[in-house]
Amino acid sequence: MISLRHITKRFHDGEREVAVLRDLDLDVAAGAFTAVVGPSGSGKSTLLYVAGGLDADFDGEAVVAGKDLRTLSARERASFRNGSVGFVFQSFNLLPSLPAVENVMLPGLFVPPGIPAPSIGQLRGRALEALDRVGLADKASRLPGRLSGGERQRVAIARALLSRPAVLLADEPTGNLDAVSGEAVIQLFSGMVRDGVTVLVVTHEERVSSAAGQVLHLEDGRLR
Amino acid sequence: MRLRSLVHLASLNLRSDLRGTAVNTAAACVGAAALVFFVALGMGVGQAARLMFPGDARLVEVVPGAVSLGAALGGGALDDGAVARLRELPGVDGAWRRLALRVPIAASRAPEGVRMNWPTGFTVQVPVVGVDAGLVSSDLAPGGKFDDPPAGEAIPVLASRRLLEVYNKTIAPAWNLRRLPPGLDLMGLQIPVQVGFSIIPLKTEDRVYDARLALAGLSDRVPLYSLAVPVETVRRLHKEYGKADTGYSSVILEARRPDDVPGIAAAVRRMGFAVDEGERAIAERVGLAITVTAGALALLALLMTALAALAIAQSLSASVRARTRDIAILQSLGATAGDVRALVLAEAALVGLAGGVLGVGIAWLAARGVDAAALGLLPDFPFRPTTFFLFPAWIFALGTGVSAAAALLGALAPAALAARVDPARAIS
Ligand SMILES: Nc1ncnc2c1ncn2[C@@H]1O[C@H](COP(=O)(O)OP(=O)(O)O)[C@@H](O)[C@H]1O
Ligand SMILES: [Mg+2]
Repeated sequence: MISLRHITKRFHDGEREVAVLRDLDLDVAAGAFTAVVGPSGSGKSTLLYVAGGLDADFDGEAVVAGKDLRTLSARERASFRNGSVGFVFQSFNLLPSLPAVENVMLPGLFVPPGIPAPSIGQLRGRALEALDRVGLADKASRLPGRLSGGERQRVAIARALLSRPAVLLADEPTGNLDAVSGEAVIQLFSGMVRDGVTVLVVTHEERVSSAAGQVLHLEDGRLR
Repeated sequence: MRLRSLVHLASLNLRSDLRGTAVNTAAACVGAAALVFFVALGMGVGQAARLMFPGDARLVEVVPGAVSLGAALGGGALDDGAVARLRELPGVDGAWRRLALRVPIAASRAPEGVRMNWPTGFTVQVPVVGVDAGLVSSDLAPGGKFDDPPAGEAIPVLASRRLLEVYNKTIAPAWNLRRLPPGLDLMGLQIPVQVGFSIIPLKTEDRVYDARLALAGLSDRVPLYSLAVPVETVRRLHKEYGKADTGYSSVILEARRPDDVPGIAAAVRRMGFAVDEGERAIAERVGLAITVTAGALALLALLMTALAALAIAQSLSASVRARTRDIAILQSLGATAGDVRALVLAEAALVGLAGGVLGVGIAWLAARGVDAAALGLLPDFPFRPTTFFLFPAWIFALGTGVSAAAALLGALAPAALAARVDPARAIS
């Protein structure tokens, strides 16, 4: 489901060029729950952005959910992000001005041309269902600022699942959460894996990696 | 991105920043209001002026040239030969004679058929000018004839269309006469007159006899304070009273197109005649003044609209910069650069449309207010307009369209800025 080959990612820091990922290979089977662990600054987020089609500026070969990311146009990459993958971030990345349900509806607003798009009303219905699945049906109209950290992350998960992607990419999803909330998030991920979603989590937390079926270590730009 | 999604998200964004939205809408509104107000004012005042000075842009009034010059160039009197030559000028469609009556005519009784409190002993001198029927044929009442009548029959006359208004607004109140009700059918109205009588005793002719004038129509081609009769009637009266034939008072030339007028006027002057600019020149000067003033005010309004666009550009740029991360989040969820650009443009368009609609409404209300104030303050005068504004349907489209276009224009740069956000960099 995720196949990265010889991935090299460089950043230009003024004159200096720093290779964060160096000839990295990664294989994640469909329906697997994989964790990548590594210290802060090791390149975990960078790896996730490459795999998720947010960063197209890399060397190597990346095939995710059947899409060869190197060959996609910017528009096709957006379509890939919209339908093939879901993102969950450490800092939730909800739009602070929109109520929870509107945040969850967002991916449905960007359905690319050629794919039937739901009406706003249908979209709201689906978003409420998704919120119900993460146990937040009663807080749908709250602004993110009036939700706890754990609740915000569950809203973000509901949003990531709205368009039923094959792959879920999570960047330190429990980094800002207390033990109980973090545990709830891990439970949700495990449930998704049971439903057949391929989950790739990058983290430096033991409690997340212990729930994963496969744990890889990112060191010196490579996975071990 | 579907239109419904675009509108949904754009309006959500606008609602989440009510203050900024209100400020931008107000900016767009001021420009649209000023534009619509001034354009409507220019058109309204223009229309009022056209009612006051119904200058026909195709008419040229030829009058005899200065004596010495005319004699030297073979011009001089406007006789039938001159009329024939004038009719042959390129661009001229018709030439009609005007001959002022030099026999005094006075009215000392009320017209027959209207109830009027004509003061006893009150006599009005009636200035009369003879005109060719062709000049006024289209202004004749249906079935009306404009020929010199057989002896004893009423002489057909045409009055200035504006005389009625002037009579009601100035003459009647000043002399305490009854005003003529609007819509009154005056056609066929008979006015008893005394031919040869003058209120200046020395000017009264030896022979004075009773005659009747019959109103055959109203025309803008009749001088304001005179009555027009057939030119043959004037020539007959001149003969009856032994007045020498000194040529016509003027000849009215009708140009094929208004553009032909300057060329015709120049040719007329080369023939040794003069051109009486008269009311047409006033009308043109007034029209030009109004057009220039209204144009300047509309330009000012456009400038205000441009300033509004700048203000919107400024605040949208700031808003886009503040929302860089939000934009990256939308991109992570599948928004393309085009979607992001469209979103910013849609927000601006909505603001521009709302501001435009509001501005048009405010302009309309302001116009009503100005009308009410002006009409309350100004005394009643001839051709006093009931409104100084004209609001054709297209002006509403203009107001909202210009406002939306200005907002969109202002949003171009911020939209491009938004479309350049790099999600990988901005999201972390
Ligand atoms: N846009 C960037 N420009 C330059 N350097 C960057 C950029 N993004 C990340 N880096 C560098 O790449 C390295 C890896 O970053 P990141 O993938 O965020 O690590 P992690 O998520 O494991 O903490 C860090 O040293 C960071 O400073
Ligand atoms: Mg990171």
